Amino acid sequence: MDEHFRAYTFVDRITSIEDGMRIRGAYAIPADLALFPLPLLAESVGQLAAWAAMAAVNFERRPVAGIAGGIDLLAPAKPGETLELQAELESVDREAVAYGGTALVNGNPVIRLEHCVGPMLPMEEFEDPQIARNRFALLRENGAEPGTFRGLPAISGTRTSGEIGKWLRATLDVPEAAPFFADHFPRRPVFPGTLLMHINLQLVTALANEIPRPANGTPWMVRRVSDVKLRAFIAPGEALELEVRLTEQTENSASMSVKIQKGTKTIGGARIFLAPQEPVLPARRGGSGGRIDRP
Amino acid sequence: MADVIITKEEIAAIYPKVAETMADALGCDLEEVKPDASLIDELGAESIDFLDIVFRLERGFKVKIPRGKIVEEARGDLSESEFEKGGIVSEAGVARLKTFLSEVPAERFKTPMKVADIPRLFTTETFCKMVIRQQRVAEASGSAQPA
Repeated sequence: MDEHFRAYTFVDRITSIEDGMRIRGAYAIPADLALFPLPLLAESVGQLAAWAAMAAVNFERRPVAGIAGGIDLLAPAKPGETLELQAELESVDREAVAYGGTALVNGNPVIRLEHCVGPMLPMEEFEDPQIARNRFALLRENGAEPGTFRGLPAISGTRTSGEIGKWLRATLDVPEAAPFFADHFPRRPVFPGTLLMHINLQLVTALANEIPRPANGTPWMVRRVSDVKLRAFIAPGEALELEVRLTEQTENSASMSVKIQKGTKTIGGARIFLAPQEPVLPARRGGSGGRIDRP
Repeated sequence: MADVIITKEEIAAIYPKVAETMADALGCDLEEVKPDASLIDELGAESIDFLDIVFRLERGFKVKIPRGKIVEEARGDLSESEFEKGGIVSEAGVARLKTFLSEVPAERFKTPMKVADIPRLFTTETFCKMVIRQQRVAEASGSAQPA
């Protein structure tokens, strides 16, 4: 089966484009998935922004990988739910696109991206521009067949060293072959940055489970990922070293740094901010404090 | 544009914020960022870091920095063929670069110099000057905003 626009595609429909800079769309998370990892929400918003960016330069260039200034993980989205996607391009030219965006479920934001930047590279190196143009027309007119994403293959980092509750190092053997490589991208397979983020967040969670819990006793949750940057393409079969380090912890917050290395070269990184599973209100004078519902 | 005079005081006024931006974008300590540090050779910057730096400076200083135009600006009045031939910067081009990038220590201008290697010359101060030029453009067009 041709996996292009199936195995790692998270926009089913483009509902509007205003001035070429504001774009809205939708993605129905297949109901039969076990889960829909949070980084794929970011991928979904990023792909919507990418369509606007590619259209702005007549599909001669496309954004590939890049930078995310900040990603707020506001709530999970479940299989069977439909993401309402919005993105706004701050600027776009043949060199780069800068954008922000949001995904909502039933009107409630589940993820928010800000200050994202993607280098715009020649599209023909990655996929056939005419096929992309045709896909864009399909998304705008009838929408694409939903439910083509079959889930992520089991890929995770293998922990190799570290100090309990302080830092850990893991290796990641990028597979030689996987369905998503045919979609990301047909002419030049690149390991998706959001999939790498998913693996890194698994390691972050493992380290978070080793540190004292927040004051309210609930597990730590990743709330924000900032300063995400990938400096190099990751090809099939490459070996990476991932490092997660606790940088700060208080009763109700923790932060970690993530470093991605290929050989001796640091090719990426991010900062991760964690908070209690349920936000804790500051203790009131004479009271015992309390919890508020998540947004 | 290429020959405007930028004073040391103007650079000093924005340097701390530019240096902080560099440190954030490159993930290094603020102490590692020096006014004359080559971003590529000393701070390990890659092309995507330049994009990151430019967008951060644009947000931080509320200016628009034309991407990919620094070489064009550096060229000044020289035509493309006077500035470079076959990807190698001409003698006149190197002289022009030395004027435009006056903050870069003279010994870093190697000859022959490839056009592709010009970004190796860029320092923190180069970006300070870039911001100041664009602040002036914004002021001249009446679109300046408080940073």
